[in-house]
Amino acid sequence: MSVDLVLNGLQQGLILAVIAYGIMIPFRFLDFADLTADGAYPLGGTICAVCMSAGLYPATAIPISMVGAGIMGICTAVIYLKFRINSMLAGVILSTMAYSVNLRIMGKPNIALFDCGGFFNANIVANMLIITVLLASCIIPFAVFLRTDFGLRFRAVGLNPGLAKLQGISIKKYTILGLFIAGCMFGLAGSLIVQLQNYMDVGIGVGILIHGLASLMIGEAIIGNATLNRQLAAPLLGALVYQQVQGIALSLGLAPSDLKFFTGGIVLLVIALKRKEGKAL
Amino acid sequence: MLSITNATKSFAGVFEPVLRDINISLREGEFCTVIGANGSGKSTLLKIISGEHRLDSGEICRNGDVSQVVQDVNKGTIPTMTMLENIAMSRMKTPRFSFYKRHRNEIIDKISSLNIGLERFIDQPLSVLSGGQRQTIATLMAMNSGRKILLLDEHTSALDPKMQRLLMEYTAKSVRELGLTTIMITHNMEDAIKYGNRLIMMHRGRIVTDLNGHEKSELKVQSLLEMFHKFEDQNLLHNGGGNVR
Repeated sequence: MSVDLVLNGLQQGLILAVIAYGIMIPFRFLDFADLTADGAYPLGGTICAVCMSAGLYPATAIPISMVGAGIMGICTAVIYLKFRINSMLAGVILSTMAYSVNLRIMGKPNIALFDCGGFFNANIVANMLIITVLLASCIIPFAVFLRTDFGLRFRAVGLNPGLAKLQGISIKKYTILGLFIAGCMFGLAGSLIVQLQNYMDVGIGVGILIHGLASLMIGEAIIGNATLNRQLAAPLLGALVYQQVQGIALSLGLAPSDLKFFTGGIVLLVIALKRKEGKAL
Repeated sequence: MLSITNATKSFAGVFEPVLRDINISLREGEFCTVIGANGSGKSTLLKIISGEHRLDSGEICRNGDVSQVVQDVNKGTIPTMTMLENIAMSRMKTPRFSFYKRHRNEIIDKISSLNIGLERFIDQPLSVLSGGQRQTIATLMAMNSGRKILLLDEHTSALDPKMQRLLMEYTAKSVRELGLTTIMITHNMEDAIKYGNRLIMMHRGRIVTDLNGHEKSELKVQSLLEMFHKFEDQNLLHNGGGNVR
């Protein structure tokens, strides 16, 4: 396994960590199984690609993509809260609809961005630094928020909704807030991958949820989630380890087409190990 | 502080109304104990007051927010959160964008005042505590919420006798000091007489006995038990026992 492969794995792992955080926030803090990643991630990429091809500076395209994908998160929350649709179904419906929206925004299935510039270049270490700074600028404020009065209430919504209601906490407001933050994370990841590849394809989101979920579960299997700090570190650690495991598998001769099967196997293995330890998913 | 007028409540598929013509008026600081057989409508009454259920007819007027301690400690606390986090959460009527740990010393003082040594678990998840200790914390959370109406739904029933006594004494002392308007459901006749200044007995969704002041203070456990069994015997004659559902 070459140094390049390791560095590439770390770079991809950092972007995957952004997705894993987006999955963790509703899943672990709101007890909300959000499946919008498959739709919000390419939506972020689409908005970023369209903004950049329209001449917008890449740094401006990122927050616009985040807000766009965040609004998709709000839509999932509203559908769940207003129409009382199951959280997973709401996510699947929105992700399916997002595919058409993305095609409509792009006007074609893919956009090349080689002439549009972007944050990234051939220097992998510099790229990793940029991604790390962007990731930290999202996660550090979120970690601080969780330690405030509002953050405590946010956590209570997922841990004991009945008690949260008794304490006068608005479940609706915090669910909408949580899914907005998660959507923003997916949007950030989408715009980063598009700028890294200089290319946007409408199909980039297929299966991304399972990669993010695998990262979160690997991270939690390694360091657990008993404390807030461990919970917050798990997606990052898990994504970095997961990408390296994929790299090792590829260098040992696994065909890229078998990667999704391999990922599913990892998820099943972690679930089985957790069940054996008597822990819930 | 709290008044319920002509309250009626039914549930779909249940033959009889769960609450019928309930009229209660509690002054500020009044402590009312409620007794009655299982299915007599006690818990539904509390759920109506807390706003969890709506009335079919009648009116309810609350001049203050409601806090509640329930029998199941898992519903009244968050076991995976630390003791500090649980108590800090309960006292945030007006949350702020500042760290909840600013309340730490104040919360430690509150726990220390219980005199049962729980303050050493301040940074531990509540899951490390026993059921009785957790219920004590749940009660402390309700007392410190700043809400003026307190509902206690058999909050000591799952505890051992010593812990029951400790928790009841803490509850009565805090209710008195804070001037909370309180309704406590209990199956313990001794507690029903000893604590509070008013006693209500419910039977098949109705209030059948409402005692306060002199009448309550002179009441003996034996006579309360006789009263309780009289209504239950009538129930047996009426429909062969239990509720008609």
